[in-house]
Amino acid sequence: MSKFRNRTYDIEIISYYTGYIVLIVAALMIIPITTSFIFKEWNVMLDFIISSAISLTVGLNLIMIGMRKKVSKSNVQWKHGFAVASLSWIVLMFLCAIPYRLSGHTRSLLDACFDVMSGFTTTGVVLLQDLDHLSNGLNMWRHMLTFIGGQGMVVLAITLLVKETGGAYKMYVGEGKDIELVPNVKGTARQIWKISMIYLMIGTASLWIIGILIGLKPLSAFFHALYIFESSWSTGGFAPNTQNIMYYHSVIYETVAMIIFILGSFNFGLHYAIWRGKQREVLKNIETQSFFITSFLACILALAGLAKLNVYPDAVAGFRRIIFNVLSAHTTTGFGSIYARQFALEWGGFGILILILVMLIGGSACSTAGGFKGLRVGIVCKGLVMDVKKLLSSERSMKVYKFHHIKDHILEDSLIKTSAIIICCYLVIFTIGTLLGTYYGYSLSDSAFEAASITGNVGLSIGVTTPSMPVTMKVYYIIAMYLGRLEFLSVFALIGYIGGGIKRYAKIH
Amino acid sequence: MQKFTKTLLIILILTFAHSLNVNAEDISEINDLIENAKELNGQEVTVQGEVIGERMVRGDYSWININDGTNAIGVWINKSEADKILYYGNYKNQGDEVRITGIFNRACVEHGGDVDLHNNSIEIVQNGHPVNERISYPKIITTSILSLFVLISLLFLLKTIKSNKATD
Repeated sequence: MSKFRNRTYDIEIISYYTGYIVLIVAALMIIPITTSFIFKEWNVMLDFIISSAISLTVGLNLIMIGMRKKVSKSNVQWKHGFAVASLSWIVLMFLCAIPYRLSGHTRSLLDACFDVMSGFTTTGVVLLQDLDHLSNGLNMWRHMLTFIGGQGMVVLAITLLVKETGGAYKMYVGEGKDIELVPNVKGTARQIWKISMIYLMIGTASLWIIGILIGLKPLSAFFHALYIFESSWSTGGFAPNTQNIMYYHSVIYETVAMIIFILGSFNFGLHYAIWRGKQREVLKNIETQSFFITSFLACILALAGLAKLNVYPDAVAGFRRIIFNVLSAHTTTGFGSIYARQFALEWGGFGILILILVMLIGGSACSTAGGFKGLRVGIVCKGLVMDVKKLLSSERSMKVYKFHHIKDHILEDSLIKTSAIIICCYLVIFTIGTLLGTYYGYSLSDSAFEAASITGNVGLSIGVTTPSMPVTMKVYYIIAMYLGRLEFLSVFALIGYIGGGIKRYAKIH
Repeated sequence: MQKFTKTLLIILILTFAHSLNVNAEDISEINDLIENAKELNGQEVTVQGEVIGERMVRGDYSWININDGTNAIGVWINKSEADKILYYGNYKNQGDEVRITGIFNRACVEHGGDVDLHNNSIEIVQNGHPVNERISYPKIITTSILSLFVLISLLFLLKTIKSNKATD
């Protein structure tokens, strides 16, 4: 009986906080509603009012379930925090997909859910049809989702908390973030948003001016600037037109977008340290060191490989296309400055392999980027060096190995093990994705490229992700994007929690 | 006179039918251009599609983008030619349907490796037009009913909060 009571109590806590997060995101639908109103897109406005009404009803009812037994909000345990983070992402995926479906730009609800999860996880692959005729309201919504997803829905909800609660940190960690910028989690969440909003103003203004200079109309240039900033900063890769970044035909526009997505792929802790005057952190940090080394090597190798194949007629074209796409892949942004099929037809096996590797490595931990992260790669590499050094040194020497990430940390075996396990999890997801692709008849390189892009939350496509691809692959890709973004643990906690519940229910009955 | 009219008519029909055939065969799909980019690089091709987005003026030239339903491509076009286009496709407008003949570049040297078309001629096949948006009445009814649901849920929540406070 006591176990059953505990279970009810758990459900109430999870329901209460999930409802709270749903409510916050539902309230944000006011922005696309206003956009549609300004542009007189009446049907789109109605789509968003319907979606927000459904979302608000769901959110309020979830809160009510949690409130009935006077939930003690300070008694949130790790399992609750993880379950809230992972469950709210699933609930929100369905709710946020409603305006997509009502717009008539998707073939099915599954396609709509796919696009929402792609936005939330900052992946950036799209199944939406006829992007060039999309309303301003829906464009605003898709880019907002990717921007919010980059910082995290839980982070947003915590920012708006009136009071600090004991469970906030557990939910924050559940969303795949662990950096503490200030001593309390609410303050940290606010700092994350502050950093993002300042960059939003600077980045949008820069792209707006450039947009006008390259021939866009001032109003249109503003919205393009806002969308491209949101996509770049969150390392998402969405764009308002079919041609993605190629629509603008401008090297300056691409360069500014590239600077923004590189900045977006850095740890929020690093941004905060630089703001506080610790500029040397850029050079000392294990993550930036790892990023600079891997991106430099990848660019050099890709340039050499593609030069051998004579893919580009001159150095300017080569540098512009290769460096942009390699860095877009490495930072897990997914903006493409060439067509998807050109990767398969022109880049050759070597070029594709380089992209697969950098897509899997990804950006920094606690940033908007995906992949198994530079921090983990750095830790595992340092761990390997440490083991070799230990083997070569005298048994009596007790040297402590350290690495620098915001502050100095001791390189412990447990940390190396945890990092290696997460990397293994990513590789398993990638392997299954590749197997599934080949099962459905795609070539090995195409399947591996797309699986790496999905697992690393990148969004570059080689042409596999289309509305006509098999349903099983769509479902698997949704799961892979979700697992990759939340970094497995919280999703495993939710699965374990549901599994445990079913087991107990079966025992009782 | 009758003989002359008949001959003229036959010639006109044949010419028209022939030109139709040629056009249908010569028009390439954008996806086909990308798939066969190496073979078609530097060759004159014809594509037909809707002009989308907006025109971007760069000096004496302009960039326009066209979408033929398979994909979209940028066209580098003389400013005076671009003036012919009146409607650009977006949510509110159906863009002009144009037929463009030009040189296809797989990785354009002039434009930093862009896949583009350098246009020689542009022909408006069908004029674009504003899209009339009809407000959906079922959506208005659904909105009203769902708003009521939100209101009821809100009232229940306030009641729960009140009763919780009373118990405390």
